[in-house]
Amino acid sequence: MDMKREYYEDIELIGSGVVLFWSAVLLLFLFTLPLYVPNYHIYLLNVIIVHVILAVGLNILVGYTGQISLGHAGFFAIGAYGTVFLMTHFHVPFILALPLAAFIAAFFGFILGLPALRLEGPYLAIATLGFGLAIMHVIGTWDIFGGRMGLHAPPLDLGIPQMGFSWVLGSDVSMYYLILVIGIIMVVGAINLMKTRIGRAFVAIRDSDIAAEVMGVNLTIYKTLAFAVSAFYAGIAGGLFGFVCGFFDPFTFNMILSIIFLVMVVVGGLGSILGAIMGATLITYLQYDLLKNVSEAPYVGEFLTNISRKWFTVIGLENVGGIALGLIMIGIVIFEPLGMYGVWIRIKKYWMTWPF
Amino acid sequence: MKITKTVCTVLLAVVCMVAMAQDSFAVQPGFDGKEIRIAQWGPQTGPAAPWGSVARGSAILFNLINEEGGIHGRKIKYFVRDDQYNPAQTKAVAKELVERQGVFAFVGGVSAACGMAVKDYLAQNKVIWCGPSTAIVEYVFPPQKYLFGVYPLYEDEASILTKYLVEKKGFKKIGFFYQNDSYGKNGLAGCKQRLATYGMKLVEEIPVEPAEKDLASQMLKFKNSGAETVIMWVNPTTAVIALKTCATIGYKPQWVSSNTLSDYPLMYKISGGLFEGVITGAFGLTPDSSNPLLVKYREAAKRMAPDERWGTFFLAGILFAEPFVEALKKAGPDLSTEGCLKALNSIRNFQGIGPEVNFSEGVHQGTDSIQIQQCGPGASYILLQDWAFNDLATWKKK
Repeated sequence: MDMKREYYEDIELIGSGVVLFWSAVLLLFLFTLPLYVPNYHIYLLNVIIVHVILAVGLNILVGYTGQISLGHAGFFAIGAYGTVFLMTHFHVPFILALPLAAFIAAFFGFILGLPALRLEGPYLAIATLGFGLAIMHVIGTWDIFGGRMGLHAPPLDLGIPQMGFSWVLGSDVSMYYLILVIGIIMVVGAINLMKTRIGRAFVAIRDSDIAAEVMGVNLTIYKTLAFAVSAFYAGIAGGLFGFVCGFFDPFTFNMILSIIFLVMVVVGGLGSILGAIMGATLITYLQYDLLKNVSEAPYVGEFLTNISRKWFTVIGLENVGGIALGLIMIGIVIFEPLGMYGVWIRIKKYWMTWPF
Repeated sequence: MKITKTVCTVLLAVVCMVAMAQDSFAVQPGFDGKEIRIAQWGPQTGPAAPWGSVARGSAILFNLINEEGGIHGRKIKYFVRDDQYNPAQTKAVAKELVERQGVFAFVGGVSAACGMAVKDYLAQNKVIWCGPSTAIVEYVFPPQKYLFGVYPLYEDEASILTKYLVEKKGFKKIGFFYQNDSYGKNGLAGCKQRLATYGMKLVEEIPVEPAEKDLASQMLKFKNSGAETVIMWVNPTTAVIALKTCATIGYKPQWVSSNTLSDYPLMYKISGGLFEGVITGAFGLTPDSSNPLLVKYREAAKRMAPDERWGTFFLAGILFAEPFVEALKKAGPDLSTEGCLKALNSIRNFQGIGPEVNFSEGVHQGTDSIQIQQCGPGASYILLQDWAFNDLATWKKK
């Protein structure tokens, strides 16, 4: 099936005509998506792509390099606050503020990567968790960041207002195209990164850091680099999120968000970029849309409402939402350790050999 | 063979697209001959879940109206959406409710950040929002066409409480303990404004970060200042830590608090009984009041939601929605958003189970009145002072 005959075939971005064709179809589909879906779902799509960018970045750290992070909401917050802060206080245009804020996040990622050199497993989880919480509280105490009351994102201006050239993206649809383009760049960037020397060094560290060091991988550089790259992705995602949401306070970036991010990566499939994309899409869709509207679903809605009223707390249907999300996570981890990516591989195999 | 496979795949893709496109596109006007669609967001799950009872409380009022035949023949269809206290999710549910379900108006809505995230969106779509469950100055000043506040502002509440403490209780030495954000600072401003009229000053004012867990030094400062009463504008956790700390250092001032802590059974429980004796402001009647309207709601709640705790926040869900229901009744059978706005703007001296509410074109902050209540033995409610308004309210003089 996927027989590789030489090294260069392995590192090709697009392996065959089939992949090229379907990639083009997918891109066409994504770019025409606003024509098929109602407007209120465009917002959901924006949130999904933002989460995809973050999950792809987190996957570089968790899935490829084998380092855990429970503090990604912190980098996400740095991206969001950084972008808005640079734009409102220093009048940096958006196109510069976004990468700048992401580099700030990357710098913090590098800093957090230093203790990661000595910490592993649960200890690293605690350290990163502490980082996420600290960021939330530090931002909350600074009035310049709006304190705990939060911050309004300025209008999203793609131009350079100082030079009299303004291009304000007001609607969800225009924002969708911006986020989609950035999302595609980030995802392709991640795919490419994993095929370079750096990407292979990450994987070597994950498989065995001692062996990697013996082979000449500098652990100090590559572990901190993994954190920085991952934080950069989170920073970009956060910067975009600020404008998607329009208003945010420090509590938006709480610990639960960090855990949800990790869930996206694990459910999607560790060590697979496609998996991270699928995981982020599924979890965001469940959390933001499907599980919220169960009560209006025909037949099942009322049935589930009554069940949860009778057997769970007075809160009603939202219990079912939480339980369903939990069961999906548990189910995927138990029955499909490769996550949704594993399911995808099996579907692909089935179609390739169909009807046998 | 290969062709079949391709055809199958393409078919699958087409089916997917059609399924997605089937979603209804039409934006509904918010009501029809049979129903008016009203919605609320609130944290049913997640870190702020205890406040979710506000959204469920409103359901009692709407169910009661539906049982009585609706408003001008229209039943109320009520949607509650869980936003987990997350503004990004609030925006998602607001868009879904407005653009897919076609809601006419929102009532209540916990969390300042969540409300701020959707405030402009709702205004752009001409959706009325009545009675947010937080006092945010930006909501009502300058007045927004579609947004009506029922929650008394913290500044007014602190001012009324201070007046009571000085005039009725005769306290001379007052301390103020506040959360270091706009919630706490608004309370502090109201207290200071009132004290200035008596030519008095706070003997001690101490800010606190909500995450602070060790309050020993702050409490010692209050003790050393000799404050007879300490007004706290903090969150429940901080209040409990403060009460417990003072119990250990043997300092017993008269504690006073904003309405944020007016859920006595909850506070009594988490403070291990130390909350007894605390005086708080209140935006609603006591849950055990014998007010006929409140009795009616209480009986309805017992019948419709027997498992719910009849507490302050559940009751708040009813009182935040009351003025809007009144406006719907006033707007008459020929309903429209403009008509409803007009009816809202003409609400005068409306009294449900909350404070008296007045709206006008220029003022969308409905009230400046609070009651003063005290936590009695076994978390019972004692009414100390009936509805009183703030004669110093700065916004009323404009």
